[in-house]
Amino acid sequence: MTRDQVRTTLHWLLGIWLLAVIAAAFFYAPTARSFKGESARIVFFHVPQAWVAVLAFCVNLIASLRFLRRRELLDDARAAAAARLGLAFSVLATVTGSIFANVMWNSFWNWDPREVSIVILLVIYAAYFALRQAVADDERRAALSAAYAVLAFVTMPFLVFVVPRIYWSLHPDTIISSSGAIKSQMDPRMLKVLIASLVGFTGLFVWLYTLEVRVARVLSARRAQEV
Amino acid sequence: MPGPNSLIWVAAVTLVIWIGIFAYCLALDRRVRKLEEER
Repeated sequence: MTRDQVRTTLHWLLGIWLLAVIAAAFFYAPTARSFKGESARIVFFHVPQAWVAVLAFCVNLIASLRFLRRRELLDDARAAAAARLGLAFSVLATVTGSIFANVMWNSFWNWDPREVSIVILLVIYAAYFALRQAVADDERRAALSAAYAVLAFVTMPFLVFVVPRIYWSLHPDTIISSSGAIKSQMDPRMLKVLIASLVGFTGLFVWLYTLEVRVARVLSARRAQEV
Repeated sequence: MPGPNSLIWVAAVTLVIWIGIFAYCLALDRRVRKLEEER
């Protein structure tokens, strides 16, 4: 089996896996008792989106640190790709969270610590792209944005994990406890679907990320040929 | 046809969105592969 064939097989497996997750989220997982109607089903999409955003920002940090050490522009492209995906998944998590908030509390926006902290995070990473747009020279842009990415990441654990645990929040209890364990009061069927969804979304992130990096590689080779 | 608030309706919309994203990614992957081969 060639590398391309393995890749294509994995993509189709991911496609089928997420189809099964969608079916299970709507027809296998039971209705959560303490939530209005079927609103709790959004958790199977909202939580993995938030998880992928955090994962993407971690990848952004690693690629930025690698750039600062090795000074290779491909690492900068990797960092930008991860930040772009992190931003996209943060927006999706915010939107799905707002839909849930509207069903549960009759308002899309409630100034909840979790809502506010994810918006601050969005602004911080949007500024990363504003910075990239503002610098024309490739080397300088890469160095400045790598340094900024390291500083931006410092705020991430504070905004995502600390702030929502300090202040009173409307947000449902966290699924992953402070010790890192998944809380067991969730229905086992719901937990199975959630874990399957987390795996599927992580696979989707890997696919999108590698696609972006491959495009960056092709573009940089093309640019090198032109020069 | 089920009402817009029914579970089947929401599941169908989610399914269509996923199939769209999946097909787009597959097409993009094929295009990138072609560009890599050309290189």
